[in-house]
Amino acid sequence: MPYVIGSECIDTTDMSCVEECPVDCIYEGDRKLYINPKECIDCGACEPVCPVEAIAQDRRVTEENEPHIADNRRFFVEPLPGRDAPLGSPGGASKVGKIGVDTELVADA
Amino acid sequence: MTATDTLQPDAAVGGGRDVDVDLLVVGAGPAGLYAAYYAGFRGLRTAIVDSLPEAGGQVTALYPEKMVYDVAGFPGIKGRDLVAGLVEQAARFDPVYVLGERAEHLTNEAGHRPRAGERLVVTTDKGTRIRTGAVVITGGIGTFTPRPLPGGAEWEGRGLTYVVKELAAHADQDVVIVGGGDSAVDWALALDGIASSVTLVHRRKHFRAHAASVADMEKGSTVVVTDAQVDSLDGGLVDGVERLHTVNVKHKDGAVTPYKAHSVIAALGFTADIGPLETWGIEIVDRKIMVDTAMRTSVPGVYSAGDITEYPGKVRLISVGFGEAATAVNNAATYLDPDQPLFPGHSSDDPAGIGAAAAH
Repeated sequence: MPYVIGSECIDTTDMSCVEECPVDCIYEGDRKLYINPKECIDCGACEPVCPVEAIAQDRRVTEENEPHIADNRRFFVEPLPGRDAPLGSPGGASKVGKIGVDTELVADA
Repeated sequence: MTATDTLQPDAAVGGGRDVDVDLLVVGAGPAGLYAAYYAGFRGLRTAIVDSLPEAGGQVTALYPEKMVYDVAGFPGIKGRDLVAGLVEQAARFDPVYVLGERAEHLTNEAGHRPRAGERLVVTTDKGTRIRTGAVVITGGIGTFTPRPLPGGAEWEGRGLTYVVKELAAHADQDVVIVGGGDSAVDWALALDGIASSVTLVHRRKHFRAHAASVADMEKGSTVVVTDAQVDSLDGGLVDGVERLHTVNVKHKDGAVTPYKAHSVIAALGFTADIGPLETWGIEIVDRKIMVDTAMRTSVPGVYSAGDITEYPGKVRLISVGFGEAATAVNNAATYLDPDQPLFPGHSSDDPAGIGAAAAH
């Protein structure tokens, strides 16, 4: 039951959530941030700091953001455009830095 | 007065000391504190080590004020009250607390990888040696460390710090504080008037810190720079030692302003990491410790419980952690003395509720 970042983040990427996350599980794509559902501990620290209210628990996302539940997962478990292997669970966003690529759902938005 | 400051145990053992126990609990969160209670009930001399300065683990560090609704027998309890209750429950058996020290190494008495039946030695980052018969790891999400200031590594200890240990150390200094949370703003307030100048740099316009503290800071003499971040640090030789003297701050529009600084205090929050446990020779998959139904890890004498464990069907909840802690400790008790029964008896059968400890 991880938290999920929705479409409001696209072209915002404020990064406040990244500063707040105690397990460093929020990764930076190109135009959007993504929460790694395997690393998220469901603490909720990210939700109130998002200036565009893009973050919600997966059970509580708005209807229009429902595709982003699967899309946050897809960012990690499927190879991103132009890559051979999925990102997986690196165990910390600061270890890998900015990924610089988005999922197709976000890139086409 | 909060529950935790009345019931929090003293960090009874200082750095570099020797501790000798039957069972060591690694991690003083809810699962660890409950493990300490059960170890006491089994008559085991117990120590608890934690890298944080206070008991309570994630609950104390991340959400002391949150209400928890899924602890059996408590329709609702505030995080810090639950921790206080757990500390009190364990206290009747007087466990040794080793707080503010991170468990670093696990070896046998000879300093090698332990084998079944051998006494274990856990060494902390402060040099405390804890000799024990068995270990229960209740490490939760891992050990908390300050989030590093990008590009700051080479200045650590030469001007860059992550915590303010003593306000007086910054007397008559130009100080730059980085961050927008309560720690950053509280330190700015505390140093205003002690330091010769205080500049606070925050990446956004809005602060996460309490609005009242931010208002106090803005009334004071702190120079508040928002929508900006630290770009680079510069230093030079002062009395033959390379010391920080300038913090270059980059604004949103790309302009860079240099600020004079003897010290930069980075208050960017904390991250948790499984850290040194990865070198203990126990089986870890995706930063979780693999255990069997007796909560045994792959190293004899080392058990685990709570959020850090993994097995098929695992549910990561505080109530599950309590059950695992009891399973781990009671199995550890039979590992330490195979003549002991696995089942501890009912605490309610014992007038004093002190179990095997009554024999001591």
